[in-house]
Amino acid sequence: MPETVQLFVTCLVDTFFPHVGEAIVRVLNQAGVRVEFAQAQTCCGQPAFNAGLRADARPLAEHTIRVFEQAGGAVIIPSGSCAAMVRHGYLELFRDDPLWLPRAEKLAARTYEFSEYLVDVLGITDLGARWPGKLTFHSSCHLRRALNVDRQPRALLSRIREAELVDLPEPEDCCGFGGVFSVEHPELSAEMMKRKLANFTATGAPTMVVCDTGCLMHLQGGLNRTGKPLSVVHIAEVLNSR
Amino acid sequence: MKKNIHQQIRLALADENLQIALDGNALRRTTGRRKAIAALPDYEQRRARAHAIKAEIIAHLDEYASQFAARVAENGICVHRANDAGAAIDIFLQIARERGAKLVAKSKSMVTEEIEFNHRLEAAGLRAVETDLGEYIVQLRGERPSHILTPAAHLRRQQVGQLFHEKLGVPYTEDIPEMVATARRVLREVFLTAEIGVSGVNFGVVESGTLCLVTNEGNGRMVTTIPPVHVALMGMERLVPTLDDLALFLSLLPPAAIGQRMSVYTTLINAPHRPGDADGPAERHLIIVDNGRTAMQASPLAEALACLRCGSCLNACPVFREIGGHAYLGADGSLAPYPGPIGAVVSPGLFGCENFGQLAQASSLCGACKEACPVDIDLPKLLLRVRAGEVGQKAGAGVGLPAPLKLGLKVFGATATSPAMFGLGQKAGALAGKIVLPGKNYLPLPAWTGWGYSKDFPKMAEKPFRERWKQIRQNIGEKPLEKPAAVHKQDAESAPEVDSRSLGEIFAAVAASTGSRVYRITAQSLIPELATWLRARGIARVSGDSLGAELAASLGIPFSQAPDPSSLAGITGAVTGIAESGSLVLLGGPNLPLSASLLPDFHICILYESSLVRTLNEALALPALKPAPMLEIITGPSRTGDIEMALTTGVHGPKEEHIFVLGDG
Repeated sequence: MPETVQLFVTCLVDTFFPHVGEAIVRVLNQAGVRVEFAQAQTCCGQPAFNAGLRADARPLAEHTIRVFEQAGGAVIIPSGSCAAMVRHGYLELFRDDPLWLPRAEKLAARTYEFSEYLVDVLGITDLGARWPGKLTFHSSCHLRRALNVDRQPRALLSRIREAELVDLPEPEDCCGFGGVFSVEHPELSAEMMKRKLANFTATGAPTMVVCDTGCLMHLQGGLNRTGKPLSVVHIAEVLNSR
Repeated sequence: MKKNIHQQIRLALADENLQIALDGNALRRTTGRRKAIAALPDYEQRRARAHAIKAEIIAHLDEYASQFAARVAENGICVHRANDAGAAIDIFLQIARERGAKLVAKSKSMVTEEIEFNHRLEAAGLRAVETDLGEYIVQLRGERPSHILTPAAHLRRQQVGQLFHEKLGVPYTEDIPEMVATARRVLREVFLTAEIGVSGVNFGVVESGTLCLVTNEGNGRMVTTIPPVHVALMGMERLVPTLDDLALFLSLLPPAAIGQRMSVYTTLINAPHRPGDADGPAERHLIIVDNGRTAMQASPLAEALACLRCGSCLNACPVFREIGGHAYLGADGSLAPYPGPIGAVVSPGLFGCENFGQLAQASSLCGACKEACPVDIDLPKLLLRVRAGEVGQKAGAGVGLPAPLKLGLKVFGATATSPAMFGLGQKAGALAGKIVLPGKNYLPLPAWTGWGYSKDFPKMAEKPFRERWKQIRQNIGEKPLEKPAAVHKQDAESAPEVDSRSLGEIFAAVAASTGSRVYRITAQSLIPELATWLRARGIARVSGDSLGAELAASLGIPFSQAPDPSSLAGITGAVTGIAESGSLVLLGGPNLPLSASLLPDFHICILYESSLVRTLNEALALPALKPAPMLEIITGPSRTGDIEMALTTGVHGPKEEHIFVLGDG
């Protein structure tokens, strides 16, 4: 029996980047996993939670927990920050709620970020993908620091045929997105983005790979504004490329 | 008119000098920290232990503080407890008035910044002179420090050169050693004439009632050794249970703060001057300051009381790197007493979310602060708690955010709770995207939206994933492909390297790397070696401890126990040396003047190789250390990095450390 997993596609992929979602399903399928998609899922509640609006984040978290309680198997999230929200944020959100905390803990225990699931759970680092050209990897903050996931996407990328993986200078620096931060403090966010894009440019790679669509829409939006012919892609797009 | 935080941020971003200074600070400090931590193989375990110890202290804060206060009092130090800033100042002013003091020499202390000590003393007619180089610079400029550890991190050398020229009447220079020499000259006078020395406390050791101070320039030693009265001010949470725990924290603080294994001077104070002691102030006072800490301990921000004030979260923070410490403003435009990530938690924690809660919004929650913290304070979690208005009911949820943004998030939340509404929203958004700028994938939003300030916004997909799902499923098929062969790759664990060198060899190598000069000789050759050393420098009289006196007699040169200006060299023994950090341990007491290793330009230390220990923990456990009123752990010559982080030696303490290690031969 093949493994069945639940795809929590995230509101950003669902709404803005559905092709990333499709790539994720194809890669998981390639990895021998059967993917299910619970239609009732929406958003994990991170935007409100990070803004400090916990009363508004709570119904979304409760909704998400309920949806995945109805669906069995590991929950795969193609975003470091949303996965961190479910794994850590929910425990903080429900820390004083004896009824919801155990339910949040159960979901947290079976939630994985996409690349983490491939490498740590399935033990797969080579999916036969091919991407001619240079790639650089942006290790997004919640992915690396909150989930301790960094070697997993790097392992996957190091086995892409015809790809040359180039190190990004100052890899540990935030890209400046930070959700509501980029709207509340746009000047600061812009400075941090400028530095990240300058480092990206310095690599000489035309493509930057991320595991977070938040960083992706922020950085790609910045590239669009400046008209630079560089692109930011989700790791699933690379892994799905033949 | 006072500026608001957004205006101040824009000013900071436009200030070219500031940007250069901040970039330099961030890059050099984070590199230094990483290097120093890499040298501690069990760093993560140490960090976890330190976190647990601090959690225990915080959980029983008042009990530990009371126990500590009792031990300090038993040691003969006058202990005072102050509930708030006003009480702390009143206690100090009473001490000062009773002694007719006019001039106060101060070493760096964040708690004195927090209670606006200098300002309030001035109002009472006293003069408090900051003697840490960075603090001295910002005091001359009439500013507040911009960084917890390096107060002048926002300035470049040209600005300091100009300041010294204007305020001290010295010729303009861009030469940092020359500026340091000027400060040494001017402040030496302050140390020698001040009636009271004021210091902070880095750690209070509960079991022994010890006050521990960690400094590099030597001014902390000066203010606790030279003036007749020493007053220490201490935040009540600055506690560790035992001397062994102290050694643990001392292994974490300097790497995080300055990228060094040990700071130059680690001062342990047990008691005031006792009859027969060679030096030290006759009177010591300790003022334990609460000022909101007890309330914070009972709040969801309690974890931040573990902070060691190392400043490494500031150095690591990408926001601090852009704006520096002077942009952390409260809602009323006042400067937060503590800047950076830790300041965005501690400032609202101690002084209210209503004013300082908005600081927590100036963070992308990237977690660089938590990663850099030597005691693993979960700062992103605490920043989120501030944002959530969990502290200070009046501030409310989403403190600091503009109303339209909050409303938008609320509407989004309400919509997304219903999958049907959410789907409708996606359809409406996709439709709007088709009408506006057809053919483009990204929308150039205007700057006032925040998002549009520097970037375009992606259009919603015509068909979201949820509507494509059925088709995707059909295309791919129900059955997954056969699972590919798993690839496992485990890096072979390398065996820990065994250091086969003797303690003497290790000590000599490490001490040399801290800037000390080390001579490994036999006991028999000490006198001729010393004679050559002194002759080469034209030094004809020395000061020192009883060992120094004995050596001076053998050399046939004049000696004084109290260092006078004409004795350029102080000769002392050391009770032990610490091999892993290249440190000397000196005791105070009868015939043991600690000023002999502090005031002269050269400190010559005689160390028996047989007395060496490997670690700081072993050193602190030595019975010989227990009865000392004060002891000093010296690691290299007096040093500062306060101007552009350029390491310069010989600030207030000796310019050179010379260590003669006597072998058994």
